[in-house]
Amino acid sequence: MVVERDHHGFDAPAPLGHPGRAGLPKGHSTGPEIGQRLPDFTLPNANGTPVDYHNDRAGRKSVVVFYRSAVW
Amino acid sequence: MVAKFFHDSYKKRDSPELYIDAALGQLNLDENAPQATGGDQDIALTVAVHGGKGTVRQGVVRHLVVRFELPDGIHIYGPPVPDGMIATTVTIAGPEGFMVMPPELPATEKLTLPGVAELNVWHGTVDLIYPFYATGELASECRPLDVPSIDINILVRYQACTDQECLLPKTENLTLSLNLDVIDMPAIDIHTGHGQREGNYDGTAALKRLLARKIKQHPLGVPIFLAKTLWLQIGALLRKLSR
Repeated sequence: MVVERDHHGFDAPAPLGHPGRAGLPKGHSTGPEIGQRLPDFTLPNANGTPVDYHNDRAGRKSVVVFYRSAVW
Repeated sequence: MVAKFFHDSYKKRDSPELYIDAALGQLNLDENAPQATGGDQDIALTVAVHGGKGTVRQGVVRHLVVRFELPDGIHIYGPPVPDGMIATTVTIAGPEGFMVMPPELPATEKLTLPGVAELNVWHGTVDLIYPFYATGELASECRPLDVPSIDINILVRYQACTDQECLLPKTENLTLSLNLDVIDMPAIDIHTGHGQREGNYDGTAALKRLLARKIKQHPLGVPIFLAKTLWLQIGALLRKLSR
């Protein structure tokens, strides 16, 4: 099996061109842009209490992370 | 939203300091992280690593910051520049597995001088940011490090000018020694460091699930899958042979 390196410098058993290695198509949306307001949403916190993102922050800044793991 | 970080590969993620910078709206260099200085009595040039105290870690994006501190009346150029003038360029070289991403450059200001095409200039404090990360072959999370640190060479070329005259172009060659981050990871065979697969593992179970899924999707799912895979492998082989 040929292991190919992609432009990120990563190797993988699947060859380049395999759907599993494809990046986002050019121009694909990645969500709200800088300057836009994030949509309203409410999600439970670690204690199960619903948190309204915009109303419960009381104007404080926040970091919203979408990630498949959170190891730094 | 004041900043947005997006990677189209889960094998990369930002150093948390970069989020703090975005929230604060400023870049605060860590004085304890590796730095090298150049420039002269008028122009201060500093290259520094920002994030993770300057360490290099698999898949974590740190920033290499090239900072110019220009006195009043002096500017440097961003691309493009007319013939005969020197745009600021930064060339970064490191060992295999040291990956530099496209730079994040501040917006230039337009400067129009009589008889000269419109120029793109920076003045004051200018931070040219070059995000970088290490792949698993350089700084792995799942095997002992080959070396404790690496040297990064940074070649900076620029020309400083006033509105009336230009100084001679300068080339500065700076070196930073960066420690590789030591990480304790659980000794689980399948965990090889954030998807950056290294070594061998038994994929039989995964292959069985894949074949079952293909058959479920289509009666000829397996031969179709094998044909596609063969086609991609031939393409990969041809690309390898053509290099």
